[in-house]
Amino acid sequence: MRLNRVVITGIGAVTSFGNGVECLIQGIRKGRSTVRHMDEWEEYIGLRTQVAAPVEMRNEKKIPRKKRRSMSPMSIYAVQASEQAIADAGINLAEIPADRIGCIIGSTMGSGQTLNTVFENIAQNKDITQISATMFFKCVSHTAAMNAAQYLGLGGYVIATAAACASSLQAVGTGYDLIRLGKQDVLLCGGAEELHATVSGTFDRLYATSVRYNQNPQDTPRPFDSARDGLVCGEGSGILALESYQHAVARGAKIYAEITGYNTCGNAVHISQSDRRSMVYCMQRALNEAGKSPKDVDYINAHATGTVQGDKAEAEAIRELFGNGVPVSSLKGYIGHTLGA
Amino acid sequence: MTEQEIIELINKVFEDDFEIEKVNLRPQAHIFNDLGLDSLDIIDLVVALQQNFKIKLKDEEKIREIRTLQDVYNFILNEKNKPAKG
Repeated sequence: MRLNRVVITGIGAVTSFGNGVECLIQGIRKGRSTVRHMDEWEEYIGLRTQVAAPVEMRNEKKIPRKKRRSMSPMSIYAVQASEQAIADAGINLAEIPADRIGCIIGSTMGSGQTLNTVFENIAQNKDITQISATMFFKCVSHTAAMNAAQYLGLGGYVIATAAACASSLQAVGTGYDLIRLGKQDVLLCGGAEELHATVSGTFDRLYATSVRYNQNPQDTPRPFDSARDGLVCGEGSGILALESYQHAVARGAKIYAEITGYNTCGNAVHISQSDRRSMVYCMQRALNEAGKSPKDVDYINAHATGTVQGDKAEAEAIRELFGNGVPVSSLKGYIGHTLGA
Repeated sequence: MTEQEIIELINKVFEDDFEIEKVNLRPQAHIFNDLGLDSLDIIDLVVALQQNFKIKLKDEEKIREIRTLQDVYNFILNEKNKPAKG
């Protein structure tokens, strides 16, 4: 079976730097951090981390109310990032058959903020009459993918990957596979996530959050730093427009890059701890699929969330496969750990 | 609450929750055809009215009969005028 080549033709992002890829790149170039103290988290008993990288919502009212009413913040981020990716790719949606374009947008668990609102209401009074009609659509695991598809009028595959921090990469990998197989021509792939004290709180309970920099938030997180003390949560959305090479060339699109290999795997070793061996295996399989060897790699964008154990295991896995000659960095120091996004 | 206060609070719900401009909030306005609400919005309207007026709305038949903004005013006026239980 002849497989399609898959290319990236558009990019979009909503991050703590603002709406758009340009402000993200500028922020990274300037070495800026968007992490700040979360005053509103002080009321949570036992929550040791008090820092995060929040997004300032912008222009959400450009989305008509009837489309917006089913969107929590993460879906709004996903819609805005998707629109950017479509515009950047120069895609005219009217020219693509609706069933040949879809979206795959992952997150850890749907809208943390809306889930909390719902359960606070129900748990307190055992009363469901205060739950609005659109809460379900805001909460569900596939809320970002569903809302983006609804808003943009996409009639193809609508999938939500949910594998915690691997969600958005799995979305891109799944999109790559579907386009390779010829099942879709264009897919908007990525992730979306939103902040909530309970989300950071789950990591806090595992002693995986940064707690020593609450009074100087700009100094955390510190991926691969010897003074790192844990992750800092962020939020937002990042979307890539994936397209078959043939489709992109036929419409004269600019091409950022080609995806040539992908792998995802479990470790079956420990429910929360990183496993060096499975990381090496995963990277090796992706290289094999691409027909490349470690010496062909010029740059690695690592997960590197700033946790003591995770960064160590990841650094060891990279060193085992690539030696010490490949530059490695992580985005977490700028925009925090955006989890599924 | 006076009748006028009730009407103003209902109008505020339509302005805040359904983003309808004040100028369009005429008593005879049809909430579906003129104000653009749909079946999902009606559920949210009931939730919003319950929260704003601190009441429980259970009379589903009467809610289904609502067509105009004046019907909403009448419905809430009737609910607020019901004798307190017990």
